[in-house]
Amino acid sequence: MAIETATKTLTMVQAVREAMLEEMRLDDTVCILGEDVGPRGGVFLCTEGLYAEFGPDRVIDTPLSEAGILGGALGMAMNGLRPIAEIQFIDFLFPGYDQLYSEIAKIRYRSAGMFKAPMVIRGPYGGGVRGGVYHSQSPEELFAHIPGLKVVVPSNPYDAKGLLISAIRDEDPVVFLEPKRIYRGVKNEVPEGAYTVPIGKAKVVREGSDATLISYGAMLHVALEAADRLAAEGKNVEVIDLRSLVPYDGETILTSVKKTGHAVVVVEAPKLGSFANEISAYIAEKAIEYLEGPIIRVASIDTSVPYNLEKYYLPDADRIVKATKKTLEF
Amino acid sequence: MAAPFKPFTDSPIAYVDNDGNPVAKMKSAFSDDDLKRLYRLMVLCRAIDDRGYIMVRQGRAGFLAQTAGQEASQIGSAFTLEKKDWVFTTHRELGAALTKGMTPGQLLAHVLGKDLDPSKGRNMPSHYGDGELNIVTPSSVVGNKTPAAVGVAMAATIRKSGQVAMCYMGDGATSEGDTLAAFNFAGVFNAPAVFALQNNQYAISIDVKHQTKSRTFAEKASAFGFDGYLVDGNDVIACAEVSKFAIDKARSGGGPTLIEFLTYRYGPHSSADDDSRYRKKEEIELWRNTRDPIMRMRKYLTKQGLLDDASEAKMQEEIKHVVEQGLTEAEASPLPAPETVFDHAYATLLPHQIDEKIEIFGHA
Repeated sequence: MAIETATKTLTMVQAVREAMLEEMRLDDTVCILGEDVGPRGGVFLCTEGLYAEFGPDRVIDTPLSEAGILGGALGMAMNGLRPIAEIQFIDFLFPGYDQLYSEIAKIRYRSAGMFKAPMVIRGPYGGGVRGGVYHSQSPEELFAHIPGLKVVVPSNPYDAKGLLISAIRDEDPVVFLEPKRIYRGVKNEVPEGAYTVPIGKAKVVREGSDATLISYGAMLHVALEAADRLAAEGKNVEVIDLRSLVPYDGETILTSVKKTGHAVVVVEAPKLGSFANEISAYIAEKAIEYLEGPIIRVASIDTSVPYNLEKYYLPDADRIVKATKKTLEF
Repeated sequence: MAAPFKPFTDSPIAYVDNDGNPVAKMKSAFSDDDLKRLYRLMVLCRAIDDRGYIMVRQGRAGFLAQTAGQEASQIGSAFTLEKKDWVFTTHRELGAALTKGMTPGQLLAHVLGKDLDPSKGRNMPSHYGDGELNIVTPSSVVGNKTPAAVGVAMAATIRKSGQVAMCYMGDGATSEGDTLAAFNFAGVFNAPAVFALQNNQYAISIDVKHQTKSRTFAEKASAFGFDGYLVDGNDVIACAEVSKFAIDKARSGGGPTLIEFLTYRYGPHSSADDDSRYRKKEEIELWRNTRDPIMRMRKYLTKQGLLDDASEAKMQEEIKHVVEQGLTEAEASPLPAPETVFDHAYATLLPHQIDEKIEIFGHA
């Protein structure tokens, strides 16, 4: 029997907002704090209308201080609340990075489980919006490397809502990175009400047998564009949306790579030390005997993000096609 | 609430002078029993601290940040906290942890990294914490805990739990941005927080003149819109009185307070420090011999007729027994099991950690 679930066509901004709205209605310990999240509704409108519904105790406009927001949210989480700390741009998180690195991520371990930090750190990240050096970065590996944190990156509104609800309900701190390049450009059908997409499960978004493209966030769409072009040339590639970086879904990656024998990992961060390295090393350790060509990383170049020459900085479909052909022709 | 003390004074608030005589017009509201308890806690704290130091000298403990000299400020400040209140310690708050309710056995087990330590030996010694008592196992990063203390206090307001957060810090922490961010949040949100700043005059080797150009640390509160009090940190009655005022004020919605306790550490920064490189022995001897908080309270209680040689000897004997018993418990406690090294990084093991656990221990 088919169950009718009402859906709406939403953008990622709207999906993020709905996730918070649903959870705040269901659980009165959920609250939001950050800069301009109150009557302004957030600079991208992710918290639009929430202040009006829940008031200043649950939608908290803070002074301009990421250390205060992150450290304050930690204390709130330790004392019975489930705070969502909005960072206006992830590039601006770094005044509070020490709170994330030394305090939020370590409180459970250093206290042997006596204290915990069930909280979400969320905000827009990534390039492609002409944001220049400080409104464009993809520093996900700087979060993924910290034991104690989970890291999630949605690529579409449906996943964004379901993953954010999972993150809010998680017992551990979750860094939730929203690719702002697709904040409004990618829409899909999103169910009404609360539902979850599990953290740690990747999704095969396009099946294929010749090579595996592994990506997440905004780059997933560039990888899909490359897959279309490769298909036009008769090369049938599988595309995996990682969705969670910590924990990541090794099983789905290995199943695909063992089938195709070729892996290309596409990330938006600069290549050196990027999360593509973790995935590449994992494949090499676990499945090298299945590989018929080198694992290739497609990433941004190892510079800061330029305002005016961004198209040369970010990976595009051309680079992904070229990389895939390189491993296929090995 | 009308303050019984003046904020932002140039000289420290005191109830008892170095000779154990009451300071004119300063009358404590604490009962005789409370005063005797304050004294006993200080003596017990010193005895546990000394025992920890012996264990370092014996090579049985790898590290210690001694508390000796700072008993009055720690014990006085924590004395009127309730069980539900929160304490954020730094790496030296033996006295605060003891006063809040940790046992000598737990405290010494912590120094030895044993299972009886509520934090299971995860941190270096002198980082006391206990979840049952809301004593937060501290980070070693100076100034870092202050924003979370304010967050805890904000949550107390939102949840109407009536809790107060007492956040300890040293003089050095006031130079860290996170401390100032936390002060600012505390002011803006009128958080029920008390910042207990022990000015022991050194951040490792850096003296206060090289830490700040402010005349006092207490006056920094004025920039954030709340009161700061300068207190004689070796006068346990003054420490307890001003702290009680600040705690009560916070609990009744009056917002945060900064208290600077002027005190002195006798030991080096830690067992890994050589303080002869930056301060004179005469300075230490001056504080130890003429301003010691325990000695001062003993003189006061004796002059008030609350203590005599017989009751002092009896208490010393009892404390010796309590510390020995604590040490026995700590020594009897095992080290945490090797497999627990993976526990509590997350609520549950993640897949990549399971792989690592199998690699190291042969099983998940």
